[in-house]
Amino acid sequence: MRNSSIGVLLLAGVVAGTTAALRSAVPSGGGTPAPELTNTSWLNADRPLRLSELRGRVVLLNFWVFTCGNCTRTVPSLVAYDRWYRERGLTIIGIHTPEFPPYAGEHDKGNLARALARQGIAYPNAQDNDRRTWDAYGIRYWPSFVLIDKRGMIRYTGYGEFHLDDADFRTWDQRIRQLLTE
Amino acid sequence: MTKFVLLVLATLAVAACHGPPPLVALEAGPPLRLVAAPGVRINARLKPALELDDGTVLRFDSPRVTSDSAYFAAAPTVAAPLSGRRLGTLRLSVCPSGQRICRLVEMAVAW
Repeated sequence: MRNSSIGVLLLAGVVAGTTAALRSAVPSGGGTPAPELTNTSWLNADRPLRLSELRGRVVLLNFWVFTCGNCTRTVPSLVAYDRWYRERGLTIIGIHTPEFPPYAGEHDKGNLARALARQGIAYPNAQDNDRRTWDAYGIRYWPSFVLIDKRGMIRYTGYGEFHLDDADFRTWDQRIRQLLTE
Repeated sequence: MTKFVLLVLATLAVAACHGPPPLVALEAGPPLRLVAAPGVRINARLKPALELDDGTVLRFDSPRVTSDSAYFAAAPTVAAPLSGRRLGTLRLSVCPSGQRICRLVEMAVAW
């Protein structure tokens, strides 16, 4: 090897997640209990939200991070759901889970606040800087979604970007409306 | 050989078992260069990082990004220290276009 060259040797590789087999939402049977939220730092909320206090409402969790283009392009759809269904019983909660260590700026509350303002996000967001909620729900991709019914049961999960009025948007819309009417 | 290329891919163990093709290759130059596989985009809003064993963090970058600034349009590079044997962790966010998601790739490297 010449002096001008650098050899790089791989010692070990880890991919967070495996190749996606399904992108669309999949029903999860009659539902399983949704793990409680224990995050302590929140935006667009005057106190930490807990699922136990949201019984009787449908809850859509959106696992995202503001550095993910697939996530930010999905936000207009979530803002639309929030506008249409909040008064009918839907609570959307953003679970903001950084990808990189703190040096990348994703952990910073001010950066997240600016991202929420830039995207017009009015629904609550939890800072999941230690990935406690990400891990509790077994999430592997940005963005991911968990739809919880009025009893606190997980009914649908899925991942992947979608856009206003595309097929996935309509699927999630139908599922939200279904749970709202139960 | 003016450019030594070795590489290193997101799915080391999987690739060794004839699994899916690697998502990205790290070319040793200098400078170090990240090359994405076809259909794989590297997140430009979260610049790939090489975390050295002494705590230094090197960030890959490229002046060419997509129009929405979400992905690199040309392979990002970074100048690597040339002296001594080094260990580090390469960390990047990849967004395969067909899957409409981003995921984190981490790998240990040495040179």
